[in-house]
Amino acid sequence: MVGPADAAGMSVIVLLIAAGGLVAGGFLCAFVWAVQTGQFDDTCTPPLRMLGGDDPRDATPSPSPERHLHDHADR
Amino acid sequence: MQIVETVQTRAASTSTLPSTAVSAPVVDPGASCRHCGLKCDGGLVWSAEGIFCCHGCEAVFGLLQAGHLAGYYASETPPGVSQKYRATLDANRFTPLDDPAIAGRFVEFDDGRMAVATFSIPTIHCASCVWLLEQFWRFDAGTTRTEVNLQRRAVRVEYRPVETSVRRIAEHLSSLGYEPVMAAETPGGTVPSLRRRLHLQIGIAGFAFGNIMLFSVPRYANGAPLADGFQSLFDALNVVLVLPVLLFSASDYFRIAWHALRRRTMALEVPVALGLVVLFSRSLADIASGRGPGFLDSFAGLVFFLLIGRLFQQKAFDSLAFDRTYRSFLPLSVRTERAGGAVPTPLEQLQPGDRMVLRRHEIVPADAVLVEGHATVDYRFITGEEAAILLRAGDTVRAGGRAGCAMRLQVVRPVSQSQLASLWANPLFGAPKARWMADIAARFGAWFTVAAIGLAIAGAAAWWPDAAASASVATAVLIVACPCALTLSAPITLGTAMGLLGSRGLYLKQPAVVLDLSRIATVIFDKTGTLTSGRTRSVAEADGLSDRAWTLVRRLALESTHPVSAAIAADRDHVLEGVENGAIAAALPGPEDVREIPGQGLSGTVAGVRVAIGSAAFVAAATGRPPGRADRTWVAAGDEWGWVRLAEASRPGVEDAAGELADDRRLFLVSGDVDTDHARWSRLFGSNMRFMQSPEDKLAFVAAVQQGGRPALMLGDGLNDAGALAAAAVGIAVSDDSACMVPACDGIISGDRLADLPAFLRFARRARHLVIACFTISIAYNVVGLTLALTGALTPLASAILMPISSLTIVTLSAGGMRWSARRMLPA
Repeated sequence: MVGPADAAGMSVIVLLIAAGGLVAGGFLCAFVWAVQTGQFDDTCTPPLRMLGGDDPRDATPSPSPERHLHDHADR
Repeated sequence: MQIVETVQTRAASTSTLPSTAVSAPVVDPGASCRHCGLKCDGGLVWSAEGIFCCHGCEAVFGLLQAGHLAGYYASETPPGVSQKYRATLDANRFTPLDDPAIAGRFVEFDDGRMAVATFSIPTIHCASCVWLLEQFWRFDAGTTRTEVNLQRRAVRVEYRPVETSVRRIAEHLSSLGYEPVMAAETPGGTVPSLRRRLHLQIGIAGFAFGNIMLFSVPRYANGAPLADGFQSLFDALNVVLVLPVLLFSASDYFRIAWHALRRRTMALEVPVALGLVVLFSRSLADIASGRGPGFLDSFAGLVFFLLIGRLFQQKAFDSLAFDRTYRSFLPLSVRTERAGGAVPTPLEQLQPGDRMVLRRHEIVPADAVLVEGHATVDYRFITGEEAAILLRAGDTVRAGGRAGCAMRLQVVRPVSQSQLASLWANPLFGAPKARWMADIAARFGAWFTVAAIGLAIAGAAAWWPDAAASASVATAVLIVACPCALTLSAPITLGTAMGLLGSRGLYLKQPAVVLDLSRIATVIFDKTGTLTSGRTRSVAEADGLSDRAWTLVRRLALESTHPVSAAIAADRDHVLEGVENGAIAAALPGPEDVREIPGQGLSGTVAGVRVAIGSAAFVAAATGRPPGRADRTWVAAGDEWGWVRLAEASRPGVEDAAGELADDRRLFLVSGDVDTDHARWSRLFGSNMRFMQSPEDKLAFVAAVQQGGRPALMLGDGLNDAGALAAAAVGIAVSDDSACMVPACDGIISGDRLADLPAFLRFARRARHLVIACFTISIAYNVVGLTLALTGALTPLASAILMPISSLTIVTLSAGGMRWSARRMLPA
């Protein structure tokens, strides 16, 4: 015999599991994306890169390679 | 008396040189270069900006100041790369890059508007290097972006091919003091796709492990199946979560096990795969029949930990190439005489009969004969010895020789058929080396599989009348028996040990080499370049000449590659009017009337002054004075004369280290040289010395020493050791500068760490003991697990607790134990 309260409890937990699964799945996708775009290929250089500091005269950072290639392709 | 002192106490005047007085400020002798931080012993360049060790460093400093990039020097230690070596480089070394076929080796992408090229630069080493090189677009307007990979010592440059070229980029990099490698083997665009795959496998296994645990804990806590359909929901979710682990994360174990079985060989993956298959099918059966929640959490956890072990196994020094062939020692192209002059020709197109035009210090790429006149060649990259050999027209020059002067050669054989290449035809070079680790793993894998299956059958038999219980016990045995000791502890222990050794100057090709190092019974040394430093001789003492005269002598010495001349030419620089005399010497016009008489000496006219270097009799004859003592080299310039004494320096600490190794290992000396200083080495090696050994002799000797299963460690440096390095259980190449010029090997040790070899070998032995300790612990866990399994008490909960705990103990003990040992056993 499933009472109304039990049924409500069940659906809430199912809802929570679904929500939790979505969040976890989102992080998993982010991880897969990070690996596929090569962010784990070099774990040595990026920490050093930030030590260099920015040159104040260099207001416009150089564009990323993908962006640049696309810019050219669009023209 | 040291040259340094003589130079500074003498006032000099020679009419052939501008006669401003020596006005270099008195500087602290320990001063270090503003650019590279090296001690400027002897040679100093003093400018308004500070002190530099050489003009190259000053030039790079000036370039960076002009580009407002002084931030490069923000770190505590000057980050620059010493530019002293630049004097020896050929100014036209980047010309071959004008050939698209050769430049193409560096280019990974080019659509005409945008292109990407990758350069290998072994001298990249710190945050400042990364920072400067990533501002490269300031120096070459045609480049849009540069990205440094410190681990691989590589720079990836994106550029517009219409505005710049591979050659110009290489030249600009070089002008900043970062000399790109111009070899046939370049890093190229090899994406580490295997490592990406492993990262994904670990991530997915970890994700599944955690979430399956989450859905399993309620049942464990409840002690009984959950009510209201929750159990079937959670079971279904667990099965969905575990499928990617089975099909993707664990797939390599199944694949390798399947290959091993098909070839009727044994690998450690076989029992692992067997355990995983049983674990998964038993869990599915339990869930389907409603007998229990299955062992899916244990399954995902096991795969997760196994893959972490694999991560350690895949560790590698990306910046180093261990599998070099003769080809990587040769240039990309050589200039040949064609109609219309000297044309760069790729080595592949070199035909017998072609005439090659070589400059001083270029490498002879193919066996050839000298067309005309006299020339000198040295085989330092092949034998490790710098002594120059005098050639006459018609004499044969072997591939790999280094030209001592400009010369014209006629090709006799194509590059691939040279004597140098023939050593690589030995089957030793094709097959991967047999590792002790692989041998143990195969034997242990076979033993373990048989034992686990036997125990499972025995357990099933004991419970027999009850078919369900038999099946349950048999599968439980196969589940709990996992060869964790070797699949987890060995990769982590050895991988950690490899990393720790690498940070101390011994770079190993793969973790398994540590295990081979731990049981070395014989150590075989090459002499020149290994026991003694590659720069075999240096000026130890000199006296009699003013520094003006010394400058003229150094200019003449540049003409010859004889070790004595090389030592004089490479002597420490002394300041003369703010400029080091080495630079003055290099700037002087070429000597006229140069004559080199082998075994006697070298004479010529430099800036109108007669200069002679050679034996007492030779210099006496050249100057008309009575001969001096015969035990030194005499030098004369105009009416001044003096002497120098050279010493062949053995590497500091090497003799002590060899003495220590001799305590419990056999030592041998195998040298390609003539037996010159026998007495000095016989103290260490007794009668275990072989001289005049060809590369093939060395190979055969190593093989003979290892007869009867006594693994040997071979230490060598030249290409002539390549065969011996390949034949030895462990072959380690000794390298002084960047690891550009080492033969194929299992490891590379930097020359100044050779003295630490005994400590490194003790550390390798400690690593083996730690693997054995972990092995014992894992056997203890297996005994507990098997007891539970045989008594039918291995519940999913027990497995879910036992399995991660045993894995974690081993991971912690392996990695932690190795780090702790390194602190106690290894020099910093």
